[in-house]
Amino acid sequence: MKHEELTLTINGTRRTGIFPLGARLLDALRRLGYTGTKEGCGEGECGACTVLLNGRTANACLVYAKQAVGREVVTVEGVGRGHPGQLHPFQAAMVQTGGVQCGFCTPGVIVSGCDHLDKGGAVDDGTLKDALSGNLCRCTGYAKIFEAARVAKGPTS
Amino acid sequence: MSAEAAEALAPSPPRVDALDKVRGTAKYVDDLELPGMLHCKVVTSAHPHADVTSVDVSEAAASDGVFAVLTARDIPGENQIGVSTADQPLLVETRARMLADRIALIAADTLPHAREAARKVKVTYAPLPVVGDVERALANGAPPVHERGNLLAKKQVVKGDMAAGWQAATHVLERTYSTGYQEHAYLETNGVLAVPEPDGVFTVYASAQCPFYIQKAVARVLGLSLAAVRCIQAATGGAFGGKEDYPSEPAACAALLAQRTGRPVKLVYDRAEDILWSSKRHPMTIRHKLGVDGEGRITACEVGLYVDAGAYNGLSAVVAERANATALGPYRAPNVQVDTYVVYTNNLFGGAFRGFGSPQVTFAMEAQLDEAAARLGLSPAEIRRRNLLRKGDATATSQVLPESVGGVETLEAAVTASDYEQKRRALADFNAKSRYLKKGIGLGCCMYGCCLHAGGQFLEGSGSLLHVRADGSVNVAIGGTEIGQGAFTVVAQLAAQELGCALSAVKVLPVNTDLVPDSGPTVASRTTVMSGNAVLDAARQLKAKMREVAAHKLGVTEEKVEVAGGGFCVAGGLARLTFQEVAKACYERKVNLTAEGWFAPPRKEWNETVGVGEAYSVYCFATQVAEVTVDLRSGRVRVTHVTAAHDVGKAVNPAMLTGQIEGGIVQGMGYAIMEELKVVDGRCQNPNFTDYLIPSSADAPTVQSLLVELPWSLGPYGAKGVGEPALIPTAAAIANAIAFACGHRFTHLPLTPERLVLTLSDAGGGPAAVSVAP
Repeated sequence: MKHEELTLTINGTRRTGIFPLGARLLDALRRLGYTGTKEGCGEGECGACTVLLNGRTANACLVYAKQAVGREVVTVEGVGRGHPGQLHPFQAAMVQTGGVQCGFCTPGVIVSGCDHLDKGGAVDDGTLKDALSGNLCRCTGYAKIFEAARVAKGPTS
Repeated sequence: MSAEAAEALAPSPPRVDALDKVRGTAKYVDDLELPGMLHCKVVTSAHPHADVTSVDVSEAAASDGVFAVLTARDIPGENQIGVSTADQPLLVETRARMLADRIALIAADTLPHAREAARKVKVTYAPLPVVGDVERALANGAPPVHERGNLLAKKQVVKGDMAAGWQAATHVLERTYSTGYQEHAYLETNGVLAVPEPDGVFTVYASAQCPFYIQKAVARVLGLSLAAVRCIQAATGGAFGGKEDYPSEPAACAALLAQRTGRPVKLVYDRAEDILWSSKRHPMTIRHKLGVDGEGRITACEVGLYVDAGAYNGLSAVVAERANATALGPYRAPNVQVDTYVVYTNNLFGGAFRGFGSPQVTFAMEAQLDEAAARLGLSPAEIRRRNLLRKGDATATSQVLPESVGGVETLEAAVTASDYEQKRRALADFNAKSRYLKKGIGLGCCMYGCCLHAGGQFLEGSGSLLHVRADGSVNVAIGGTEIGQGAFTVVAQLAAQELGCALSAVKVLPVNTDLVPDSGPTVASRTTVMSGNAVLDAARQLKAKMREVAAHKLGVTEEKVEVAGGGFCVAGGLARLTFQEVAKACYERKVNLTAEGWFAPPRKEWNETVGVGEAYSVYCFATQVAEVTVDLRSGRVRVTHVTAAHDVGKAVNPAMLTGQIEGGIVQGMGYAIMEELKVVDGRCQNPNFTDYLIPSSADAPTVQSLLVELPWSLGPYGAKGVGEPALIPTAAAIANAIAFACGHRFTHLPLTPERLVLTLSDAGGGPAAVSVAP
């Protein structure tokens, strides 16, 4: 099996690794220790592997690691950077409202939700249903995830 | 319970594991890496029913990176994985009975190498006729899936005099209902990591509900004692019953390879493997005959249940027993006959799934009641009001219910909060004016036996281990698992409450079979009750010891010491010691602050032959009201809102509890209208999330949860369970709402858009089976 050396920028840090040719971004991240990014289906349906790629959400199972070279990758481990306690307000709100149950979809939900809020997205049910529709959750029924987005957005919205 | 205890339990502290999960630092099996670790690939049968005539692994064994290739003859212990019947080999010896049957196991240095080797295993088959459904399985001359024939088990409930019941009926409704498979679709697929330890013990890290099942299964297959196998639960990404018995299978596979190679072996399924191989909610056919008198009171109920178990028993007969015992639902009936047939086929492996046989029978019973109400011109709420069990009534199995019977309370709460009667009239008006877009509202009630059925009493005890450390921090170990439902948070709350320490002082340890006695499975919505009571037992022992030391330090007698506000104080006085101070004093005086707790409910009397007796220790009751919009052109059903009232005994953590209800309802909605596994002659056609649709955020209804608290004297602070009742009545309520909207009774779940449209067009628009009561 052939391998190649790739340097990726993950959560603001340059990381180099040797990966099999054709490795997915998901595999590369996990091999480099960013195991918060989960594989739920491997086909881009569940969103557990959602990361930001140059500021846009992407399923890391559908992107080759090589395609991420030269782009900024943000994972669940990096969304809290610069926030109090290294915790994004949406992460804190997910803890507070009970938007977390088994936790396996949570990293993807966190990345999508933080991105939505950081871009000034609205937090009415209709908008949130759309914004989070790429992240399947089998535990919560989504209500408390929506609630977390509203708590994170704050009363000024 | 004291007012103080009620108050302290009232807030909903955040989950103890939430922070790790939102940071992405919680460790699931696939996140664990060990030096020298190998990866496993499983080779399964190419035919759902075939004799395996030869297996040649020579080429696979010589493939790059391969450390071991094992077949049935390499098993040192018993080649048997059946959890309740010895009918299921871990690895095929001569006959494959389902596509998930394993033929060979491969361990290699990388997963790609293991996959490559798997393709090189050469198997020849002599295919046999496939038993693809229950009807074929029970037909004369059907090919036997097992030598003993295709009827795996027969269950019964017999009560009263059926002939008298039919005679007393003014209306008799007879109809056959059916349900399809449901896939658990937990977001984390099955995964295990088996590690041979230097001391000769095997450790299995698993995504699982039941570490003690895994311990037994691995010991059995590897030929080891239970003392030589330890199972530790990793963070588990959802289970819903799908990780009850099933993880024992991958665990035994990985452990066999670890034993052979002396290395850690990881086995994590991909999504297709998980859907194809793991257990499913059973398809059932339900022949239902209901008699009611002129007042709408049930005079007789006769149910024939046919359960497709798949090729092995697994838990099928146990699931069927619950369906059997609760087929009547939460209602009074003097005359009941239930006959349940559990049948072998070559289909997918039926097993535990949230509700455990109840959602199927509840769908049928609730539909029948609505039909009866329509015949009598009664509101569906009214007919239920007239039949719901009250305190002191007897169930279908003739069990008298002495306490915590909240069926009526949940009905009234849900009917009032949803404005049910008024909405029925308003929606009927709307439907009369709208040609294609129809709206509906429907009720579903259920009753769920909390904890294990009487037949499972040999598993019905749970342990705990508590250490109060010298600094006042507390370790809690339990035998019930944290599968997302919040068990660790609940037991931490209970420990803190009982000990009088801060919740932040409590650290719940990962479930480890070394730490606590066999505590049975984490199923049957029993963990708050079983592990919770076990924790309270241990905490009470520790509190007594700490109180004694506190009394000594405070210079008073023990009776004068109260546990309150995070410490020990003298009743009516100012002298006070913090929890930490007393913990330290105990340490210094060598007072041992480690305690084991245990809980087992009183023994239940049960006659299996006729299905009479105390089926369960206590029952949870629920009523849900679903509101839907149906587009008759596309068949698309939208569930817009669900009002859910649940009798939970006592809510320990209301926020987590409503999270269970909201999640259960959305899963139940998937079961009702979206989720369909297409299985043709034992072959699943859609093992992926592209073609098997589970609800996304876009599909989710809004949910209003109402908690009815009628305490159970044996529950921790009065609590019962909620995990399963959250889902059980949902499909029934949605089906009734759709029937209201369409004026047609659909008898099969899931009611997908295409089935809805085709059924209505076959019915020529559909008879007005459902009328709106005046």
